[in-house]
Formats: sequence, structure tokens, C-alpha cells
Amino acid sequence: MSDVAISTEGLVKDYGPTRGLAGLDLEVRTGEVYGFLGPNGAGKTTAIRLLLDLIRPTRGKAVVLGLDPRTDGVVLRRRIGYLPGDFAVDGRQTGAELLTYLGNLRGGVAAARIDELAQRLDLDLGLRIRTLSRGNRQKVGVIQAFMHEPDLLILDEPTSGLDPFLQHEFSDLAHEVSADGRTVFMSSHVMSEVQRTAHRVGMIRDGRLVTVERVEELRERSMRKVEIQFGGPVRAQSFVGLPGVTDLRVNGSVLRCRLDGRADALVKEAARHTVVTLSVEEADLEELFFHYYDQSDEAGGAA
Amino acid sequence: MLRNVFTKWLWDARRSVLVWTLAIVVVGGGYAAFWPTINTPGIQEALESYPQGLREALNYDDLSTASGYLTASVYGLIVALLLVVYAVSAGTRIIAGDEEASTLDLILAHPVSRIQLALQRFASFVLSVVIIVSVFWLGMLALIVPAQLDDISTGQFAAMHVHLVLFTSFFGAVTYATGAATGRKSFAIGIGSGVGVLGYFAQGIIPQLEGLEWVENLSPFHWLIGGDPLRNGLQVGDCLLMLGLVGAVVMWGSWAFSRRDIAV
Ligand SMILES: Nc1ncnc2c1ncn2[C@@H]1O[C@H](COP(=O)(O)OP(=O)(O)OP(=O)(O)O)[C@@H](O)[C@H]1O
Ligand SMILES: [Mg+2]
Repeated sequence: MSDVAISTEGLVKDYGPTRGLAGLDLEVRTGEVYGFLGPNGAGKTTAIRLLLDLIRPTRGKAVVLGLDPRTDGVVLRRRIGYLPGDFAVDGRQTGAELLTYLGNLRGGVAAARIDELAQRLDLDLGLRIRTLSRGNRQKVGVIQAFMHEPDLLILDEPTSGLDPFLQHEFSDLAHEVSADGRTVFMSSHVMSEVQRTAHRVGMIRDGRLVTVERVEELRERSMRKVEIQFGGPVRAQSFVGLPGVTDLRVNGSVLRCRLDGRADALVKEAARHTVVTLSVEEADLEELFFHYYDQSDEAGGAA
Repeated sequence: MLRNVFTKWLWDARRSVLVWTLAIVVVGGGYAAFWPTINTPGIQEALESYPQGLREALNYDDLSTASGYLTASVYGLIVALLLVVYAVSAGTRIIAGDEEASTLDLILAHPVSRIQLALQRFASFVLSVVIIVSVFWLGMLALIVPAQLDDISTGQFAAMHVHLVLFTSFFGAVTYATGAATGRKSFAIGIGSGVGVLGYFAQGIIPQLEGLEWVENLSPFHWLIGGDPLRNGLQVGDCLLMLGLVGAVVMWGSWAFSRRDIAV
């Protein structure tokens, strides 16, 4: 198997006058969990549906598992597990009926394998799908994507509607796939989820890939909001200019700032005073995005 | 029944097929059971006094025989219209209904080609028509003695019902193809029932206008009963025409379906 699972080159998709993708260059390596992160309307779903040949590109090309989705669709899709962003199925059937049918379309999936996954996600397959809660319906979607152990999983916001416990369970599933040498490509809005699950993150905005990062590096660099409550008033001056510290505000004995990168300098400076409480909050996705986009815009402008 | 696209579609349609079968057997059989009442001197005289135009419009040109009566009331009208409605509703479900419910995406992400999916489902629809029309055929055979239909043979009934299957498949094909090509339920229903209404007028009303007699040749209702299969047996020309059109329309719809984007 080649070491590239998905590659796209200049993929453009126009929906009439609106542009869904504006030249997407993507490379997902075999065996990794790749998080595809972007705000609403960025083009994540569009890219995913192009890879499955559900829609056709205006320009550009995609190669998935060494095959062209356009001409080798059937062969290719046999090796893919797909979870749509809006997992909708006929609600009159039970989970077991649906999964049996979908398994049969793939040449059969052992009932034991389906049951094992259902147990793991704590789902009752005997119920009619329309009677399930949203999260439980999503579990059916997750099971159908994983059950036949495909070489490549393409998942559009897989954890939407799942509670935190199941989000962790999902991460484990994805890691197992990757440990097996198989590939996961998943879209998300949620940075924390991607950080937990993925090895690499591609950020997309306005139909273009803005940056690709290794999650470990991202974690080190990602911005945090820090709030320190001291035993008595402190002076702002001693904290100004510490590496990674921005947006510094000191209000009596409370210090608030943003921290980018290593916490060392800030902690050491704070340790000179009496620290009552210390809270570090991860910047939410929105802030992170704007931070990165500003940077990349600057870099682009300077070049 | 969950083996493949073909069986799954039929399985999902089971309730609808059951209900339509019952409705058609009851309504068609009910009309047929009226024959002994119609076939009395008082009524026959009353019917003959209808204006010629009205009788032609209603296909009432020959109500003095059981086959003429059944053709006019059951096969050319009430059952034909019921089957058109079934064909339009089922034909819409094949692709457009599934797509508008956002449930088509998932199936097409499986290892089935679009053409395979569409053709298997259409074949399944045709089988559902065969089931409905066959049960109805058995119902009519059971009525031969009690409803005094004995001037029509089993074979003549069979010929009529073959026409019925092709006629219904034609409307299913038109509706399916419109839905497959556009992905829109409203277009599928509109075109399917529009062709039905036009076809109905083209057979009963328009040909009465001076110089427009030829229009009836364009009507599916004419292909259904114009050759009077209940009396003359299978009309090979009409059947081949319907078969050819079903094939062509289905091919066109499936081809258009395989080329376009699937809506979310
Ligand atoms: N069928 C369509 N017709 C017209 N425009 C569309 C269609 N599908 C998507 N778009 C547009 O293409 C752009 C990308 O949409 P897409 O659904 O790929 O975004 P996304 O990243 O998946 O967003 P979300 O996070 O909200 O799911 C959006 O501007 C959207 O309005
Ligand atoms: Mg989306």
C-alpha cells in the first residue's frame, strides 16, 4: 500500500455562483488520523463528498487509496467507511436491520462484529431508529462506518451529538484503526476533539487549506487564557514582555493574560508572589483560528 | 430481504404494495360485480340515450358486452387511474424521495454504482407492479362466474393485465427518470401526473376534435385499451411500444442520474 491515502490537487467546486472549494491541496498519509478543521461553510463537507464521488469537481483531481473516485468508485468505496455529516436513514427500520443491509451491500459483515461495536458504544440495536435519541442515532452511523474494518474512514463531524464519554470512546476507535495501519480522515469544528484524536490537523477556510500542523506542535504552541489570583496586589510591569505573554491585564491582585507556547517564564515570575489560584483555559477554536489566520495573512503579505 | 438494493426496495414497499393491491382488487372487483346490474334492459337503454360525444369520451361505445363494460369502467378508467397514482408515488420514491430525505448519500457511499442502484430499484418497482396486477388478475378470474363475465377467457384477462403492467411501468419510468435526473420530488410528481392527465385527455377528449383523431396514438391510455385486449388478446405492437419507451426513458434517467451531483 502506498504511503499516501488521500491526495488532492487544486480541487475546485463551484455551486453555481457560490464557491464550495477554491483549490484544495490535501495530503493524508496512510495510517494517520487526520483532523480536518474549519468553521461553518469552510468546505469540509464539500471536500469529503468529492472524495466519495457523490459530487463532481469543477476542476482539479483527487486520488484516494491510489484510485480515482470518478472512475473506480465502486472498487474504492468497498475499502472506505463513510459517516455523513447529517446521518439520515429511514427511521422505520431497527438499527440491526439497517446495519445488516449496509453490511450486505459490502458483501456481508459478521453479526458478532456489529454486536461488539454496539456493546462498546452502549447502543440497543433492536430499537427502531426513529425512536432513538440524536446521539444514539449517531452511534448507528459510527458503527456502520467502522464495522467492515475499511482501509480508510472518511468521517464528517463524527462526534456531533455524542456525549463526552462517547467522544473518548470514539477517539479510541480511531486510534485502534490507526494502530492497525489504516487511515482516518475526519472533519470537525472542535479543536479539543481534534487534538485528542488526530495526529495531524489541516485547517481549512473559504475552501482552501490554510495550514497543516502536527498536533503535538500545535498543543505546545496553542494559546491559552491564564488567570492568576495573587495573595496581594502585583505590578503589571514585572510581567510585561515575558515570552509568550500577550493581552496582559492586571487588576489589583488579579492577573489575566494570553499565553502562547511555553508557560515557564510566566510561572517563574508568578512564583515570586503568593499565588492563591491559577486557572489555564484553552483558547476556543474561534480565537485560535483568528490567531493563526492573522499570522498566516501576515506571513503571506510579507512574502 | 435485506440482501441487496433490489430486495430491500421491495421490502420497504411492502405495506404500500399491500394497500394498493387491496384497493385495486376491491375497487376493480366492485365495478366488475356491477356488470349483472348494468346488463339489464332498462339500464342499457338509458346508456344508449347518452350523447355520442360523451360516450366516446368515457369509452362507453360498447356497454352491451362484459368486455366492453370492463374496458370502459375498470381497465380504461378507475383501475388505470389508481395504477397511475401508484406508479407516480412509487416512481418518485425510487430516487428523488430518497434524495430529498437525505438518505441517498449513505447508500451511494457503498460499493454500488449509481446505475446499478437505480436499475435494481426500478426492477423492484416493476416487480411490485406485477404483484399488484397479478393478484388483481386472480381476483377477476374469481369473479368470472358470480359476475357473469363468461364471455371473457382467462387468456384474454391475462392479455389485458400484461398491458396493465406495461402501462403502469411506463408511468413509473417517466416519474422515476424525472426524479433521477433532477433529484426533485416535485418535478417527478409533476411530470408523472402531468403525462397521465395529458394522456387521458389525448385518448378520450382531444381525438373528438376535427382533424385531431391521430392524437390518440400518443396516449398511453390508447396503448392500454385502444386495441381492446380484453376482446382481441395481446396487442403486440402496443406492448412493444410501451416496453421500448420504458427502456428508453429508464436509460435516459439513469444516465442523467449517474452524471450529476447528489444533493445532501
Ligand atoms: N448544494 C449546495 N448548493 C450551493 N452551495 C453549497 C451547496 N453545498 C455547499 N454549498 C456552499 O459551499 C460552501 C462550503 O460548504 P460545506 O458544506 O462544504 O461547508 P462545511 O465546512 O462542511 O460547513 P459546516 O461546518 O457548516 O458543515 C458553503 O459556502 C456552502 O454554502
Ligand atoms: Mg459540513
